[in-house]
Amino acid sequence: MVVVLEVSETEVIRSAQSGDRNAFSELVRIHARGVFNVVYRMCGDELIAEDAAQETFIRAWQNLSSYRPQMPLRNWLYRIAFNAGMDMLRKEKRILPNAIEDLNLTDGQPGLESQVSQQERTQLVQKAILSLPDASRAVLVLREYEDMSYQEISATLDIPVGTVMSRLNYARKLLKDKLEQKLSKVEAEYV
Amino acid sequence: MSNHVTEWLNAYYDGELKGKRLQQVEEHLTTCEACQAELESLQGLSALLQEVPVPEFPSPERFATQVNLLLPQKRTTTPGTHLFEVGWWMIPVGLLAVWVFISIAVLLGDAMSTAKNFGILDSTTASFISAPSDTADVTSTLGQFGMLQGNSLQWAETTENFTRGLFPQIVLQVSVALLYLTWFAIWWTRHTRQMSEPLLEG
Repeated sequence: MVVVLEVSETEVIRSAQSGDRNAFSELVRIHARGVFNVVYRMCGDELIAEDAAQETFIRAWQNLSSYRPQMPLRNWLYRIAFNAGMDMLRKEKRILPNAIEDLNLTDGQPGLESQVSQQERTQLVQKAILSLPDASRAVLVLREYEDMSYQEISATLDIPVGTVMSRLNYARKLLKDKLEQKLSKVEAEYV
Repeated sequence: MSNHVTEWLNAYYDGELKGKRLQQVEEHLTTCEACQAELESLQGLSALLQEVPVPEFPSPERFATQVNLLLPQKRTTTPGTHLFEVGWWMIPVGLLAVWVFISIAVLLGDAMSTAKNFGILDSTTASFISAPSDTADVTSTLGQFGMLQGNSLQWAETTENFTRGLFPQIVLQVSVALLYLTWFAIWWTRHTRQMSEPLLEG
């Protein structure tokens, strides 16, 4: 007979806080993918995302004593992950696209739009996301990809809910402006 | 219809509106084509964003092992550090106790002195009270020798009474407050250093 013992995350966190490396590894296993995804969405580079994810967990281990269970561990890790990702980008001196000109959009010739492959389209969208200001991009990533509520985003990024709303509005407006051509096509497909 | 609800459309689309605002947006959307189109463009944008794939993540087990190897040795809590922590948290408690003691002593002193003046206390109890003298001894002596006269004598008496009575209490309480503020400043510095790094700047 196999007895399955379910240990709550809170207990695992408590063990990790008292220095149990195996307990911390368990937390890494649980949250690694989420942290990686968030960092990848923020910086758009697989290798940087993996390094930043590692850095996130190292920083988390070093600061685990300051973690308070009022905030879900996932959100606390995401907060560290955003900073680690941005630090990593700065270290790598990676320049993210800033303007629509950097996005290599089609030159407006009729018919050419339809020839853009799916891969090119996603690359274009990703570049548009990366061209957003860091603060707006962070809010957009948490809302669109992590499905967080405004309240959760507010707690994760330590900003007021009103700021979450304005940054999200701003990010979406910028994206819509940049991706207008693509958007009309997708709207026709999805709506 | 001119009262567009554009600024609330994002929150509406994200399911964050409630109550009257939600009702207002819903009613507006039934009649306004421009806002309907705006809402559809939000849906289209989300759909487009979802098309961006995330690379395949390496096995979480392997990743956890790699991270484990990179983890620095954690500081272990020795009995010495534990004792230090206990002592550290006893400081504000001790200061509070001192402050309460001073306040109670002052209050009791004042109450007993008043009681003595009104003759409520009998002579035996009154003899135990060492309430501050109401007379300014040094000033009166100087007055007797004719060194202080008139207004200057009155002013000197008031100053001496204040210096002997109220001044030490103020100095003690201010010292306790300053010590507490110093402790709080040190605690705040340690606490903020321990917290994770500052967030993305707006």
